[in-house]
Amino acid sequence: MADQLSLYVDRASPLHRLNPLTKLVLSFSLVLIGFLGPGYWLPTILFVGILIPLSFWGNIGNEFLQRAVRLILPLVLFLFVMQSLFYPGGRTVLVRIWIISLKLESIQFAYLTATRILNMVGAFLLLLLSTHPSTLMTDLTRRGLPPALTYILVSTLQIIPQMRNKANTIIDAQRSRGLETQGSVWARIGALFPLVGPLVFGSLVDVEERAIAIEARAFKAKRVKTSLREVPDSTLQRQVRWGLGLLTLVLIGIGLWR
Amino acid sequence: MSFSERLKEDFSTMTLVLIPVAIAINVVIGQIVSLLKLPVYLDSIGTVLVGVLAGPWAGALTGTLSNIVWGLTIDPNAFPWFPVAFFIGLTAGICARYGLFKTWWKVVITGIIIAFVAAIISAFINVWLYGGITASGSSFLTAYLLASGRGVIESVLATNFIFEPIDKVATSLLAWFIIKGLSVRYISRFPRAENV
Repeated sequence: MADQLSLYVDRASPLHRLNPLTKLVLSFSLVLIGFLGPGYWLPTILFVGILIPLSFWGNIGNEFLQRAVRLILPLVLFLFVMQSLFYPGGRTVLVRIWIISLKLESIQFAYLTATRILNMVGAFLLLLLSTHPSTLMTDLTRRGLPPALTYILVSTLQIIPQMRNKANTIIDAQRSRGLETQGSVWARIGALFPLVGPLVFGSLVDVEERAIAIEARAFKAKRVKTSLREVPDSTLQRQVRWGLGLLTLVLIGIGLWR
Repeated sequence: MSFSERLKEDFSTMTLVLIPVAIAINVVIGQIVSLLKLPVYLDSIGTVLVGVLAGPWAGALTGTLSNIVWGLTIDPNAFPWFPVAFFIGLTAGICARYGLFKTWWKVVITGIIIAFVAAIISAFINVWLYGGITASGSSFLTAYLLASGRGVIESVLATNFIFEPIDKVATSLLAWFIIKGLSVRYISRFPRAENV
């Protein structure tokens, strides 16, 4: 059975033991504050002063930094170059090469955007590295998320690796029958159809069987279902969640007011 | 039939099982295409498929969740773009509802409408979050337009209106081909089978 598609890293740490909703609220708060809150250095402070320490508290510091760098670096570099050179709000010219000029305000804007994105990616990365998807789903369902939605999300995370394996199998099979997968752009586009066709139709045929299978297992029954997993929560965490929510609103208010 | 009744009908078990498969189709094909470095995305085929077979709201949900899943597993930079995917699914469903998915040339029209909607919404997100320059190839065109003195919104919109139609028309046609390749008996199990 193909493994689940997730970033989860299993460690025993206080961060991992936190209720998933707390972590979710934390991530969203950080993202919203990062994008809408006041202050030029705010996203930088959030990332360096909150996200990185939290990741080490959760024993996932190394993975966090590695992944964050790998995900962000190419994007940020490109963004930085493009925005520094082409952002239309620039005034103070620092360097001029031919018709392209590097302006101070553009670099400042690029830095702000880059740190905001870094903050967003970091916040979600922290959540994903420390929370098993099933735990998150179980907790949300218990709080009232429609089971249909839970099914869709969990099922998607399972199906994608399955489909990828199928895709690789089909690619191998077609290549052993002489399908040309290298070469010119047109050759590659042409190779797309014998690969995608069996994959898509094979997966769609499954749909009807699955639907029958889950209906036979009382999927649509209205009763509250008992879960195998127990997800712990505490009053302190509930208070922290509300506190974070309030803080986020206040900071966004200040940020928008400025 | 009231709105909530229609909604419940649209979200039948078949729909609920179709959505993850459609999201997976979006992700896998989207990844293959980006590996081939083609100037299109083709990451909304599943979204359009669900929009046509199960109605606008199911399509919108598929699009949104596709973005979220893509953001969770491949590239978190995809998160802010979910409204675009939302409206792609919604538009596809609405067009199909009005019979625009029955012949190939009507499908092309649907593709153009979807492209239009997607271009406008993504332009707004683009400008609001990134100041107009993202990390895609189309940004070079935007940058050129900006340097030549046009306003930010104008430049981004202009860029989008060139790239989106190609992608969305191709997406719609591919979704149509897929539907045509399925048996009538199979299609009839879906809530909005009358769309095709």
